[in-house]
Amino acid sequence: MFAYKTGIPISIAAALTFTSLLAIGQRPLLDEAPRSATKPAVVFLYPEQVTIPAAKPTTIALHFRIAPGLHINSHTPRQEELIPTTLAIPADSGVRLDGVVYPPGADFTLPLDPTAKLSVYTGEFILHARIVAARGDHLVEARLRYQACDSNACMPPKTITAAIDVIGK
Amino acid sequence: MKRNTLVITAVLMILATFAWAGWANWEYRKQAAERLRASAAQGELVVDAAGTPQYNTPLLGKPAPPFTLEDLSGKKVSLSDYKGHALAINFWATWCAPCKVETPWFIDLHNQYAAQGFEVLAISADDIDRKDPNKFRDEKQEIARFVQKMHMPYPVLIDGDSISEPYGGLDALPTTFFVNRNGAVVAAQMGITSKEEIEKNIKKALEIVK
Repeated sequence: MFAYKTGIPISIAAALTFTSLLAIGQRPLLDEAPRSATKPAVVFLYPEQVTIPAAKPTTIALHFRIAPGLHINSHTPRQEELIPTTLAIPADSGVRLDGVVYPPGADFTLPLDPTAKLSVYTGEFILHARIVAARGDHLVEARLRYQACDSNACMPPKTITAAIDVIGK
Repeated sequence: MKRNTLVITAVLMILATFAWAGWANWEYRKQAAERLRASAAQGELVVDAAGTPQYNTPLLGKPAPPFTLEDLSGKKVSLSDYKGHALAINFWATWCAPCKVETPWFIDLHNQYAAQGFEVLAISADDIDRKDPNKFRDEKQEIARFVQKMHMPYPVLIDGDSISEPYGGLDALPTTFFVNRNGAVVAAQMGITSKEEIEKNIKKALEIVK
């Protein structure tokens, strides 16, 4: 009885003390935020949702925007080492990617090498993806792989996700 | 008494859960903080009075971070192997078009200054997948094809990404660090500049000019 009367308050006090000590561990480990966070070179604009006939190949237009001053290789870069822009849809998403029509690239020349022409996208670009959706609601995380540069330097290749709610009716 | 034991057990379990959650959270944030600290060593591009972009790296004046990487034949190569040499540690990739433009400049300047103790260490930042031997072989072959096509006469090392953190993250390529005979970084550049600018930095590394 004695233990019952005093044990619980002691346990609770111990728990509170312990959790308040744990709170010390939650203090910031850095005094300041990093100076710069890398922004993605390409962002997916829209659509967020599409409704298409179930089991029927349908073309949807996916809109992307490239940050000002940057370009990415087109789907058909002129040099074999360069990384093409490609779109993919995960196999288990309930939506199949039947094909993609990529826009043609625009010519771009590096200021220090006027002899080499690159094939690139800049600004906004649209990919026409032909998809087949099973009946139902599917949250598709399409993946765009690209490699971005400016006139002087290149960033490592990157894959971004374009989340689209595909409703097959 | 039984009830008392149950309550104490429950309290102890809650405490254990708190302790585990607190520890896991602290570990997670410690790792995140380490990553942020590493990226804080990152340099930045600034424009000088003449309007020329300059890569301002915290490594300037400090010893070049040590590393050991493999060359295309699998031989281990360390920075310390080049003690006493002036170096250009040139990070590049096969997918980097500006890197392709500056490579012939590095080749020319390497040939011009090699006799004075200058060496280029070309470190590829191309993706490397060591877990898949076939992929690893293909990736190395792709780099080797580029090296052969460009006739790069100096050591080419792979897996540059594995040493990117001490070198400031390597957010963009090409990035080059010029190191003097004492192992200190005397100049750095991010992005393509000009052959003259590279030569100026090689002379700094060789201490031909200040």
